[in-house]
Amino acid sequence: MSNSKLYKGSLTTIILKLLNESDKMYGYEITQKVKELTKGELKITEGALYPALHKLEAEGLLEVEVKKVDNRLRKYYRLTENGEKETVNKLNELANYISTMQNLVSPKLSLE
Amino acid sequence: MKLIKEEIEFIEHYLIKNGVKYWDVRIELLDHIVSAVEDKIEQEGVSFNEALLDVHQSFGNRTKTFGIYNDKLMKTGLYADNNGFKKFTRKKQKELGRKYRNLTLKELKKMLVSPAFLLEYTSIILLFVIVFQYWPKTTGFIGLVVLMLPYFFSAFHSLKDKSTRKSLNIMIVGNMGFLFFSLYNLGIQIFNSYYEAEIHKPFIIFAIMTCLLYPIMRTNINVYFLAYKEHKNMYELMLT
Repeated sequence: MSNSKLYKGSLTTIILKLLNESDKMYGYEITQKVKELTKGELKITEGALYPALHKLEAEGLLEVEVKKVDNRLRKYYRLTENGEKETVNKLNELANYISTMQNLVSPKLSLE
Repeated sequence: MKLIKEEIEFIEHYLIKNGVKYWDVRIELLDHIVSAVEDKIEQEGVSFNEALLDVHQSFGNRTKTFGIYNDKLMKTGLYADNNGFKKFTRKKQKELGRKYRNLTLKELKKMLVSPAFLLEYTSIILLFVIVFQYWPKTTGFIGLVVLMLPYFFSAFHSLKDKSTRKSLNIMIVGNMGFLFFSLYNLGIQIFNSYYEAEIHKPFIIFAIMTCLLYPIMRTNINVYFLAYKEHKNMYELMLT
């Protein structure tokens, strides 16, 4: 990711979330989807995306399907059953992290 | 704008020239590069060469390197540097090792509760007991041959099947059993030096070692065949 180091730790969660929303996606499609959803704010680099995809595949969270598209092979990634469970965990973890950071950065004032 | 077959072939040769020698690593890079080049040409209105140079850099490759190359101080262009691709392959290799280790463990657990394998394992143990009873000296050699079975398969496939050549997956999965085979080989070396002077050598050690390592070797064969079938299909699809 080129924009910020802050996004680095959330890369696998972003990938899992995107794959959870669509049946299957290929590498380049993921980079473009992230760019589109964040209006170009967040760019996933190739050097970060593929190691993350291969890691998730090695952990059994993703499975691969290969198809021939326009004179070349394309690898589609899709979530496994474990991957679906892990997506829920990762999203909860991220929500907790965001809420903790929000409390730290802008704590709510209390009259008690 | 879709790239024509010749342009895709050019990108494939560019990858080979940049040291991406494994076909199963190349397919993913090729698809990404072709998609990115097509988008750049369409959205930014650049030429094929400019788009490819941009994508080349996006993988962490430089387009200028300094040093002495054929009496020139600087090397420029698509073939100046391939560090990004080298890093890509290294990381993929690491993750594939992990993938196949996890798969082996899963397969081993599955096999140890399978009645068919337990019957096979019992037969192997009985066979080694018989071999040890009648030909104790040859136990070590037979054990070595049995533990080398995964290599026989991968050697046979590498001769007859092109899909296994220059495949990172097949290379890694083919080498999985090497550690256990090396352990056995080391055992033979230690045995020979330790019991050199003994008249009645305890050859039963080889029978025990082979029987202990047999389930792992058998799992390696299963995992090898899983990867082999998957990649053979992929290779055939690539050639169609």
